[in-house]
Order: sequence, then structure tokens, then C-alpha cells
Amino acid sequence: MRFSLILSQLSQGMGRTVTIFFLTLIFSLPLGLLISFGRMSKNRVISSIVKIYISIMRGTPLMLQLMVVYFGPFYLFGLNIGNWRFPAIIVGFSLNYAAYFAEIYRSGIESMPVGQYEAARLLGYSKIQTFFRIILPQVIKRILPAVTNEIITLVKDTSLAFSIAYAEMFTIAKQIAAAQTTMIPFVTAAVFYYVFNWLVAWIMELAEKKFAYYR
Amino acid sequence: MKKKLVCGMITAAMVTALFTGCGSDTAGTSAASGTSESSASAASDTTGSSAVSDTQGDSSETTTFTVGFDAEYPPYGYMDEETGDYTGFDLELAEAVCELYGWQLVKTPINWDSKDMELNSGSIDCIWNGFTMNGREDDYTWSYPYVDNSQVMVVSESSGISTLADLAGKNVGVQAASAALELLQSEEEGGQKALADTFAVLQQFPDYNNAFVELQAGSIDAVAMDIGVAKYQLKTRGEGFKILDESLNSEQYAIGFKKGNTELCEKVNEGLQQLLADGTFEELAEKYEIADMVCLEAK
Repeated sequence: MRFSLILSQLSQGMGRTVTIFFLTLIFSLPLGLLISFGRMSKNRVISSIVKIYISIMRGTPLMLQLMVVYFGPFYLFGLNIGNWRFPAIIVGFSLNYAAYFAEIYRSGIESMPVGQYEAARLLGYSKIQTFFRIILPQVIKRILPAVTNEIITLVKDTSLAFSIAYAEMFTIAKQIAAAQTTMIPFVTAAVFYYVFNWLVAWIMELAEKKFAYYR
Repeated sequence: MKKKLVCGMITAAMVTALFTGCGSDTAGTSAASGTSESSASAASDTTGSSAVSDTQGDSSETTTFTVGFDAEYPPYGYMDEETGDYTGFDLELAEAVCELYGWQLVKTPINWDSKDMELNSGSIDCIWNGFTMNGREDDYTWSYPYVDNSQVMVVSESSGISTLADLAGKNVGVQAASAALELLQSEEEGGQKALADTFAVLQQFPDYNNAFVELQAGSIDAVAMDIGVAKYQLKTRGEGFKILDESLNSEQYAIGFKKGNTELCEKVNEGLQQLLADGTFEELAEKYEIADMVCLEAK
């Protein structure tokens, strides 16, 4: 196989990888915030349900979770899952990553001194105003490095999508390698991942600099 | 002022993301479950009420025929080096059958470990990929066997291993969930459990590429695999390997359908008979250099 063909095949796969990546972020970042609220809720029932959720999501392999999300509707309810493959991947990844993001948000939110809430109340801020205008912007600054870690892991985790037979980049690399009996596609795949992660890290660094407006 | 603007923008972005995010998340879920419900009737396809599953959400009448295969299994199913499409003896045969009936072939590369889940859930209509029927007779509805296969051991030429008995105390590799593995674990008549017990280790691999690298690197001494696959590997890898003359067994390939889906199975059987009669089958076998192994008989 010509190298240019390997590249074009892998680029197609990279397109799918990047799609999984962005869709997962779009859904899991906000969902994570919601879950972190649940985790910090004063309502015992809510907080313990969320705790169990996080515990399961972090405590079982993503590969298994993907299989449960994809095959579950059939084995539990006998539904036809013909068009469910791609949505299942996004749902599986989002649910899993939201659990991790939730704990990162919590670490940020709980690190804010109580004095800030008190000061805000004295100044007449409502609870919602306090959170969105005062707390959240500072939280985002603090958690950015941890979030960057998680995002980079997500890029590499996309290869798990093949556990439910979705041909993303790494799967295609394996298939080319099998047909050609060479290892070149793997090296190429590594470069693809590295370049993409380098971009992600660069963008996140830029964001960190943008947020460092008090320095 | 600028600070405030930035904060405001972020807050706005976060809030919109929060609502749009959750909104479309649930929408996606319900939409997906919606299609599942609307096509609940199609779900019975695979249990045998109608031949092939209808193209979901497609108003046209074309039926699709979804073949599940391991895309790392040359010469039966793999990625073509010229075009980058999936091809191979089995896939071209499936294509020819589809042409006969006007079906649309959907080639779905699957994770071999979860092939049963894919088949049972109706994600694929059949497993057509050098699929060994022996030992699995009761688990699937099988087409007529079309390839005579045997499981063999590949060793490196310099290893000095020439018989199966020489493998005692050696490290042997095998593909996970493969027929070779089942054979080496089977205690039934014709099984090779006794032989496998003489190995130092029976190491499972996800694919043959890995196994061959380990064989080359010397961390394993032999790899058990199907003879067709072994020939392809030896042809593309050149010198340095050999296939042991003694084979582990002889077995046959057939197309596996979900148990009970006899209607679709019969249809494909008929198609294969037509392809045998008009010479297409023989042609494909020669193209993929397995003409001496095919065994499809006219019924």
C-alpha cells in the first residue's frame, strides 16, 4: 500500500476519532457540571445516587460500558439496535467522561473560600449570580490543567470505540497493518495522535494564559 | 470592564452549553430509542420472519445484507491495498450473492470477540469470514460449507521445530476467540487439549500481526492458525517461517446466521449454488489462491 493511501485512510479514521472527541466534550463538560452539583447537593438521596453513579463510571472499564450501552437495549428490551452504534459511542463516552469531569469541577468549586460567598451576599448577589459571576470563572481557571489531562486521555480513549465495531483511526491502522503485514500504520497512527494532542495542549495553554488576567 | 466581559462570555457559553448540551443529549437518546421502537418490527427479521432487515428509515425498497467480518483476516476479509476498501474472498462472494438478489451489501468490520452479540442483536445478518462451523454446529444456522480448512502451526524456520510433539514446553500463540483456540481447549473427540497441555504457555493474541511480530522476536515459538491465513502471511512476509506438515485438525468454513434464521440462510445457499453453476465461485477461489481448498458442492 502506498504511503499516501495509508495517510488518506488514516485521515478518514481521524475524522471519526475527532468527531467522537468533540461530541463527547460537548455533552460531557456541561453534564459533568450538573453531576458535580448533584454530588455536592445537600439532599442526601441525590448526593448518594450521584456518588454511586460516579463510582460505577470510574470503577468499570469504558470498554465494558460501551458494550452495555450498545447491546443493552437489545438484551434488556429486545429493541432493534441497527442505527444505534454511533449514538451509543457518544452516549457511552459522555456518561463516562462526565463522571470524571464532575469530580474535577467539584475539586474546583470546593476549593473556593467561604469568605467569597459571604462577601457576595453582603454585596447583594443572588445565589445564582454568585455562582456564575464570581465562583465559576475562578473555578475554570483552577481546573484547566486537570481538564487538559482528561481531554488528552479522551483523544487516546477513542480507540476503545472499536469494542463495538466502530472503525475509528486506530482500528483502521490495525486493519492496514494486518493486510500489509507491516507496522508502518501504527507509527503513522502514533504521529496522528501526537500531533492532535499537541494541538489540544497548545490550545489549552493558550486558554490558561487568557484566564491569567490577575497576574 | 474587559474582565467582566470575558467572565460574562464564559458564563454565557457555559450556560448555553449546559442547556443545549443536555437538551440534545436527551433528544439524541430519545430519537435513537424512537427509531428502535419504530423498527421493532424489523427486529423480528433476524429471528426469521422475513429474509433480510430493511434499510432503516429508508423509504426505498432496497434491502441491505449486513455481513460481519474481521477486517484483519486476509485473504478472507481485509483492507485492499489499492483502494482502501474492504475486500477478500468471502466479501467478494457476498457481493456476488447480493448482486444476484439486488441487495445492498453492508460490510461491517466487527470486533471478533463480540461477534455473537453483534449477530444476536441483529446488528449484522451473518458472520461470513472464514468462519469455522466444526464444534459450533448447534450455535448458529449454517450455510453449506464452502472451504475445507485445517488448523496448522506456523513456526520460524530456525526454531528446529518440525512436529507437533516438538512443541512440548514451548510458548504457543493463538488468536483470541478463534477456532484454533477452541480446538486447543477442546477435550472432546478430535480436540487438542492434550497437546495444548504440553505447551509451556498458550498465549492469546488479538490479531495475527501481533502474533507474528512476537514469533519473529522470539517471545513465542509457534502460532496456531487457519491454513489459508497462514499461507497469506507466509506469502507476504517472505522467508523465515514454515507451516508444520502435521495439522491440528481438518474442518470446514461456512456462513453463520443467527440460530433460526433459516430463510435468509436458504436464500444465500441458493445464491451460492448459482455462483457455483456459473463459474463465479471458482473464479474467485482462483483469484485468492484458495482453489485447492474450496469444497462447495452442487446440491
